Amino acid sequence: MLRIINLTLMLSMLVGVFALYAIKYDARQLEARVQTQERDLEKLENNVAVLIAERAHLARPKALEPLARGLGLAPIAPRQYLRLEPSSAANVIE
Amino acid sequence: MRLLRASARPKCLLRAPIVATASTRRRTLLTLAALVACFAAIAAQLLRLGVKAEPDFHLNIAEPIGQSWSRPDIVDRHGQLLATDVATHSLYADPQLVLDSDEVLEKLTGALAGLDRAEVRRALADRGRRFAWIARGLTPRQAQSVHDLGLPGLAFRTELKRVYPLGALAGHVVGSVNVDNKGLVGLERWLDDMGKVEAVQGTDRSAKPALRLSLDVGVQHAVSEELQAAVTRYSATGAAGLVLDLTSGEILAAASLPSADPTRPSDWLELSHADKLMSGSFELGSVFKTLTVAMALEAGVADLNSLYDVRRPLTIGANTITDLHPSGRPLSVREVFLHSSNVGAGLIALDLGADRQRQFLAKFGLIEPLRTEAGSIAPPQLPKHWGRIETVTVSYGHGIAVAPLQLAAAMAGVIVGTKVTPTFLARAEASAPAARVVAPATSARIQEILRLNVTSPVGTGRKADAEGYRVGGKTGTAEMPGRGGYQAKAVISSFIGAFPMDAPNYLTLVLLFEPEPVAGIAPGITAGLNAAPTTARIVHRIAPVLGVLPRLIGRAEPTDGPFDAPSAAQ
Repeated sequence: MLRIINLTLMLSMLVGVFALYAIKYDARQLEARVQTQERDLEKLENNVAVLIAERAHLARPKALEPLARGLGLAPIAPRQYLRLEPSSAANVIE
Repeated sequence: MRLLRASARPKCLLRAPIVATASTRRRTLLTLAALVACFAAIAAQLLRLGVKAEPDFHLNIAEPIGQSWSRPDIVDRHGQLLATDVATHSLYADPQLVLDSDEVLEKLTGALAGLDRAEVRRALADRGRRFAWIARGLTPRQAQSVHDLGLPGLAFRTELKRVYPLGALAGHVVGSVNVDNKGLVGLERWLDDMGKVEAVQGTDRSAKPALRLSLDVGVQHAVSEELQAAVTRYSATGAAGLVLDLTSGEILAAASLPSADPTRPSDWLELSHADKLMSGSFELGSVFKTLTVAMALEAGVADLNSLYDVRRPLTIGANTITDLHPSGRPLSVREVFLHSSNVGAGLIALDLGADRQRQFLAKFGLIEPLRTEAGSIAPPQLPKHWGRIETVTVSYGHGIAVAPLQLAAAMAGVIVGTKVTPTFLARAEASAPAARVVAPATSARIQEILRLNVTSPVGTGRKADAEGYRVGGKTGTAEMPGRGGYQAKAVISSFIGAFPMDAPNYLTLVLLFEPEPVAGIAPGITAGLNAAPTTARIVHRIAPVLGVLPRLIGRAEPTDGPFDAPSAAQ
């Protein structure tokens, strides 16, 4: 009876050792995956930062103004403002 | 009992000869089975590893060298990006692993334009070192070209680099950083001083919220462009411009030309690129007469109709004060302002006296150094002895030199009647009402004469009238000091104004350094001929951006041609 118990315990220990090793190895694998994903995330964040900076660079007023001028646009001139008065027939658009 | 014990002892101590019994065989088999199981387990695990091995397993190595700083973004009041951190590649060498330093140097020079050969040669020659920077902040293309060379002993680190998407726009305000991303000047330096930057290794971007400035990129661009056009038009050596929100003290635009590029920290070392709004103090001339008149009104020494005899030059000791265009009759305070009479301003100041003049200027912060988030402002240069002649010269802006931003803050206080503290940061919420510095009646009279100076046929600021936007302001033409005294042909011309004058919201300041006459446009170099029209162009462009509505209804006639502002027509 004692031998059976010893044998069982020894087998359990072996299984436990193997299971522990497997879990530890899996944990390391997962850790490595997390690190890889963190690095990928950082890379993506940096790419996003570059894209935002590039968008700001492309949308800078100095770049847009010549394009706007080329299209015939200009700052709003005072004469472009109209006061809409209900009593004024001149401002009724038909 | 003893006999029994004696007979039992030898039986226990006896060792039976080792004979392979059935029991022993079973034990041996069990042990072997256990060993086989262990080896089988190891083999199974190895097999599993062989089949399921992760191809992208990386090993992290600590990188103790090359600490950098991550900084929060800087944005304008509407969120437009002005400065941010991006990850870039930096090239370094391990001199002990470099096989042929001449070959490395030759190939690197071909791949990286502008590389300092002497510096790299020195770095590679030091075999005792294991780390030496070669080039930092490379573009992806440059990094790839160096990588493609396949040179042993060279490697890359990624680190943060500050970039400025809008280039030199508002460069003086934003400031600059060094190669380690540490703030050197401007608001970049302020970020460091306030502990808003973090030491990092690698490319961890800052998680802190962006620094929101009071600047409006659209207004800043319009001011910069118009100043640049004015520099070209009047052949000036430099210019500066400012737009200030009178209610909050927020600076919406602050430009100084020649500009400073944040990517070139060396710009801050060149005197010609110095920020003319903050880092220099100048005698700004007749714009000071606004303060002199406000002083007299506030003290009750005179009102706008009080008369002063300006027919003769004002003589104090060995000094004689004259007017550019002497008047043949006494002038009221209002006319002294409109004609910009030095003699009249001097007489008003003499009525007040040196002590009251100094106290009044102190109330507006013109005696003490001013400081903003973008750095210290050049301290005012005051008369060493504040006697009668100094009282007179200070009344029309000579003998006292202040930073233009400091004068603008004082002028803002006179116009709205309360203390205005200029700031480059967007205010999160409306601040508590500021302390009153002059009576409402005084600021109302000042607003009246500032507007009159633009609308009156005799006003010096007539050309500042931006149609529809009710501009008011005061001109100033100050001769620059040089060898042997003041130079008559080298002046700083300025215009400090506000709009719309029926309810002033914004203050504008334009400075032109050493403008020259232009045939057909500006026959002289006085501010009314150059700084005033430049202000009009600026107001025409920024008023629509700021939501100020023109008052032209009933007079404006639409035309068939394309709409255009006066600035575009120049």
